[in-house]
Amino acid sequence: MLIRFFSLVFLLLSLAAPSLAQSDPKPLIDALGKADFKQAEALIGQIAATGDPRVVPALEAFAEGDLYVRKSDNLVFIAKPAGAQFTLVDPMTSEEAGQVAKAAVTKIRVNNNLRRVIRSALGGLTLLSPDRAVRLSAADAVLRSPSPENLELVEAALAKETDAEVKTRMEEARAVSLLSSDRSVEEKRAAIETIRNYGGRDAIGILRAAYGSVDASLQPDIDDAVASIEGELALWDMAQNVWYGLSLGSVLLLAAIGLAITFGVMGIINMAHGEMVMLGAYSTFVVQEVIRTNAPGLFDWSLAIALPVAFLVTGAVGLVLERGVIRFLYGRPLETLLATWGVSLILQQAIRSIFGPTNREVGNPSWMSGSFGFGGMTITWNRLWIIAFSLSIFVALLVLLKRSAFGLQMRAVTQNRRMASSMGIRTPWIDAFTFALGSGIAGIAGVALSQIDNVSPNLGQSYIIDSFMVVVFGGVGNLWGTLVGAMSLGILNKFLEPSVGAVLGKILVLVLIILFIQKRPRGLFALKGRAVEA
Amino acid sequence: MISGFILRALEGKIVVAIAILLGVAILVPALNLLVPAGSAFHIPTYVMALMGKYLCYALLALALDLVWGYCGILSLGHGAFFALGGYAMGMYLMRQIGSRGVYGNPELPDFMVFLNWQELPWFWHGFDMFWFAMLMVLVVPGLLAFVFGWFAFRSRVNGVYLSIITQAMTYALMLAFFRNDMGFGGNNGLTDYKDILGFPVQADGTRAVLFAMSAIMLALCLLIASGIVRSKFGKVLVGVRDAESRVRFLGFRVEHIKLFTFVVSAMMAGIAGALFVPQVGIINPGEFAPANSIEVVVWTAVGGRGTLIGPIIGAVLVNAGKSFFTGAFPEFWLYALGGLFIAVTLFLPKGIVGTIQHGFSARKAMKAAREAEKGRDIGTPMAQAAE
Amino acid sequence: MNFKPSIGAKLGGALLAAALSTTAFHGAFAQEDTIKIGVLHSLSGTMAISETTLKDAMLMLVEEQNKKGGVLGKKLEAVVVDPASDWPLFAEKARQLISQDKVAAVFGCWTSSSRKSVLPVFEELNSILFYPVQYEGEESSRNIFYTGAAPNQQAIPAVDYLMNTEGVERWVLAGTDYVYPQTTNKILKAYLMSKGVAEEDIMINYTPFGHSDWQTIVTDIKNFGSAGKKTAVVSTINGDANVPFYKELANQGVKAEDIPVVAFSVGEEELAGLDTAPLVGHLAAWNYFQSVESEANAEFIEQWHAFTKNDKRVTNDPMEAAYIGFNAWVKAVEAAGTTDTDAVLDSIIGVSIPNLSGGTSTVMPNHHITKPVLIGEIQADGQFEIVQETPAVVGDEWSDYLPDSKDLIADWRKPMECGNFNVATGKCGGKGS
Repeated sequence: MLIRFFSLVFLLLSLAAPSLAQSDPKPLIDALGKADFKQAEALIGQIAATGDPRVVPALEAFAEGDLYVRKSDNLVFIAKPAGAQFTLVDPMTSEEAGQVAKAAVTKIRVNNNLRRVIRSALGGLTLLSPDRAVRLSAADAVLRSPSPENLELVEAALAKETDAEVKTRMEEARAVSLLSSDRSVEEKRAAIETIRNYGGRDAIGILRAAYGSVDASLQPDIDDAVASIEGELALWDMAQNVWYGLSLGSVLLLAAIGLAITFGVMGIINMAHGEMVMLGAYSTFVVQEVIRTNAPGLFDWSLAIALPVAFLVTGAVGLVLERGVIRFLYGRPLETLLATWGVSLILQQAIRSIFGPTNREVGNPSWMSGSFGFGGMTITWNRLWIIAFSLSIFVALLVLLKRSAFGLQMRAVTQNRRMASSMGIRTPWIDAFTFALGSGIAGIAGVALSQIDNVSPNLGQSYIIDSFMVVVFGGVGNLWGTLVGAMSLGILNKFLEPSVGAVLGKILVLVLIILFIQKRPRGLFALKGRAVEA
Repeated sequence: MISGFILRALEGKIVVAIAILLGVAILVPALNLLVPAGSAFHIPTYVMALMGKYLCYALLALALDLVWGYCGILSLGHGAFFALGGYAMGMYLMRQIGSRGVYGNPELPDFMVFLNWQELPWFWHGFDMFWFAMLMVLVVPGLLAFVFGWFAFRSRVNGVYLSIITQAMTYALMLAFFRNDMGFGGNNGLTDYKDILGFPVQADGTRAVLFAMSAIMLALCLLIASGIVRSKFGKVLVGVRDAESRVRFLGFRVEHIKLFTFVVSAMMAGIAGALFVPQVGIINPGEFAPANSIEVVVWTAVGGRGTLIGPIIGAVLVNAGKSFFTGAFPEFWLYALGGLFIAVTLFLPKGIVGTIQHGFSARKAMKAAREAEKGRDIGTPMAQAAE
Repeated sequence: MNFKPSIGAKLGGALLAAALSTTAFHGAFAQEDTIKIGVLHSLSGTMAISETTLKDAMLMLVEEQNKKGGVLGKKLEAVVVDPASDWPLFAEKARQLISQDKVAAVFGCWTSSSRKSVLPVFEELNSILFYPVQYEGEESSRNIFYTGAAPNQQAIPAVDYLMNTEGVERWVLAGTDYVYPQTTNKILKAYLMSKGVAEEDIMINYTPFGHSDWQTIVTDIKNFGSAGKKTAVVSTINGDANVPFYKELANQGVKAEDIPVVAFSVGEEELAGLDTAPLVGHLAAWNYFQSVESEANAEFIEQWHAFTKNDKRVTNDPMEAAYIGFNAWVKAVEAAGTTDTDAVLDSIIGVSIPNLSGGTSTVMPNHHITKPVLIGEIQADGQFEIVQETPAVVGDEWSDYLPDSKDLIADWRKPMECGNFNVATGKCGGKGS
């Protein structure tokens, strides 16, 4: 087996260029130090062609931008930062070669194109790795950057592979590489079938790319395969749109749910609601900064820690706001608009003075990064979490309102303040804590929104109008209305977007809301009874 | 001094205000044009332009007050009518540029040329004629208000719901005007005007006339508004504001009353926009921003809603404050502005004019009670304003 | 201001008093022994996020210049105002700076709307504006100097790079729906088609300002990219919307090696709000990066860190443009011996000053400047690695790729003195044809 592999390498070497008779990769690696992008690309080919597994760390370091050339002797090293200095590591032997000042070495530049070439080369070189995960990613790498040079390597690896999943992936990789090689039409036809089974957008891309180069008799096969994959994807696209709609809806729900309490339940036109969301996002930022400097290991927990912090901070601000300003304005809802507008200006400027006007970096914990495939859909983790999060807030709030003593008192106060008061409920405190609750929920919404949007002083402004639309559309004073309103606006938006574009889609949604309010002047879930006449 | 003016008489205050506005319309341009620049009495062009802008804002606030203060419709979208009037004027001014644009195209405005428009869109036709543009200044906002109000008032959308959908309306219009495909210059809007009716817009004389026009139009609209609220119709209007259902049960067509007022108010806002544009030299979709409309509400509230003079004073004071603070304390002016809004709502819920009126009427009532022992008919300031 | 009594204690009095208090206040601060310059950047509202940095940069430049003894033996004094991201307010503030504060020159504006708003004011009152941001071109005013990039100093070299180095054949032109992206994309489309790219290989997409839900569009880009041709995204997406866009790209697994994104509005400052590790390899085209290795740049960064008392503050391209504009003005004033507008306008053309990327920038007769174009790839530390640098390019105000502007040139030297001279008809278009 090994003999076959080496003979393969030899074959490749003789194919590539006569100058490649060199088998020691070290001079090739050192040559990278003086190469421009074009030369480096050729050198990578040569380095890979040596087939020497010892070059893998060097290539990996090159792709990561960790490869440096020492100015004194033009030798190439892998450099790892060690304080103000670099620790140099020999690229072949991984032996340490001492520490140098940063000025003593120059970084070898790498660009996208080189990274692509390296990835493909590494794919070929690591197909035989003893580590299953490495083999899988190597097969992926070959799959994603098809080149006929990898074909024989894949076939060699395939013959040896025992793991079923890796084997399937390698077969797909083989099919992809085969399409661009000079194999027979029959083999290629089989390859097209394999790629068709692989499915997805990538398969369409691979097939279309091969379309021009294959034998004309194969082109109908490719057309068939592409058509069949697209047929499958059409349904998935629908599902994907619904998913995007739900995801947008969950963001709207998050933004609006605090307002559903302060505006919907209490009747305060709270223009500072967006700023509460912003304060929540900044709380997340502060929590992450503290974690970064004091306990980097806790970073994945930062959001969990930020949630109570944000709730308390914004809840406290809400409490102060209610006690200081809003309580004097009950019964004059339109004047709460003016006062809270003033508050929102002050909060924005305060944040600008404290944190500066520019965006702040809020990192995504690892469990909120990336995506996974689900059938023909791509589901990103952060969106999934946000949907789950918004729904759990919704449920928690519903339970609080319907099942707890505080909720009972809150409902009593909003339905009939004087009656509630005569029953011994301390209405001022209920008001204060209801407002604090609404603000606190806006704050934890800010924690979630910090994961997908800018954390800047303008954050709140971009959500305030949408939030009001959702609450009014759903029906003031009804949490279910907010949920249904948010989700239906989200889905509507996402179904309009592909056909009319994002801008017009948004305009149409607004026009539809206006028309809808004419039909049902009190929203989807209108409160019934005499209270609404007040 | 304002208090002195208000304390003097309730009956004739509109007359006094109109007289002052007309006086300003003559005096300020005269001080600008006739008094030499060195004199202490000279008003620089910069200040006159600024005051002209305030007058336009005052007219907008007056328009809002007519629907909010007297009819109970809190429109959070009045900026839209203002902007539409402004765009109508802007389109006229763009057409007046003619072949003096940078590309020398006699038909198309510059922004259409470099975005490869081949011909003038249909809705730009006619705007080369001043009378047509002026008609559109009234018709376009009026029509929008009519259509919007027709649906909304018939369906009895009111209170907060109405406020929010007016906000949705101006927001949707803002997004629409931001689109370059709409043919209104996208976010750059319409700018770099040359002439109005053959006079260069930059010239001091033209500016003076525009300023005078702003003051005169404000006086005229004040007269109209005052006429409306003092008529029998005005009494019904206040009735609609305070107890809509009762007025309806009395047999009045509430939606017609509201619709009429809303359309008149929108047209006034349109006029304000049309006068605003040549004085500041630009109209762009930013004027549709919901925040702008909310600011108009704030001016009105600061000055005192339900009084006709209040919104004018509120608009002038808040904007003068803004001009001053953005220059003097660029980093901190938002604190001052935000603080002002909170303070006014907390401590002056009736606004400046409303509070002074209230204080005055309370005193008058006490005096009346002392003298004639029947001073309990204090009533609301609004009711008095409608006397 | 004693005309108040002439009107009396009346409404009009309040109106005048309020307006004039502005005047009085500013008058009180006037000092005779300084030269004033205006700084016209939004410190509040939506644009504060970008513009506040430039205000700080200007204050730093003024401070540094004063340490060197000022200009013409006088100290410089910066007059800062806040136009609050409100375009009519830009015009008002510009008028205030010029006619009330009597500034010698103004440094400011970010968006094209704000520049368009103040342009008539500067022409009417004959003052000078230095505009430090990349823009769509199609303008040349006697009173404005454009020290940011014109499309040919940013967009076209970036597209060339992708075409030649990365072999891109299929293009997504994604932008925010406003004039800069619309014009840039028109130019790029014409340019790409002149290079033989088929129309169906170009996808143009516009989104509203502050767009935050990019799921659909990123999916569209992925789908467009699965046609078997190497695909790239040319992004003219406006500052604020970039963060969610890049986050979505990273999360949906669009890697720079597969579909690179080259952006014209994303600099160090925008990246400071992002975790850049998943974005490594995406590109930006500017005339300056903080990672440029030159002595002038090292010194500039050091000054900036000292001035802001924060050694993590990044520098960016518009700051360099402000730096060039400021130094060009200083040099022109010293050459003219006066701050008088006409004299400075005469002396500034041809002024060469060192830029931060190690070369020199020259103010050209079309009021644009020469600068090199740098293409950088995003690094994990939020900086850019420069992968290509062109020699200095002259800013081209009238694009050669738009049918109506290809015959136009600008030359503000005597005797032509025209911002839109039509070489085909031999006439200066702006003066009526």
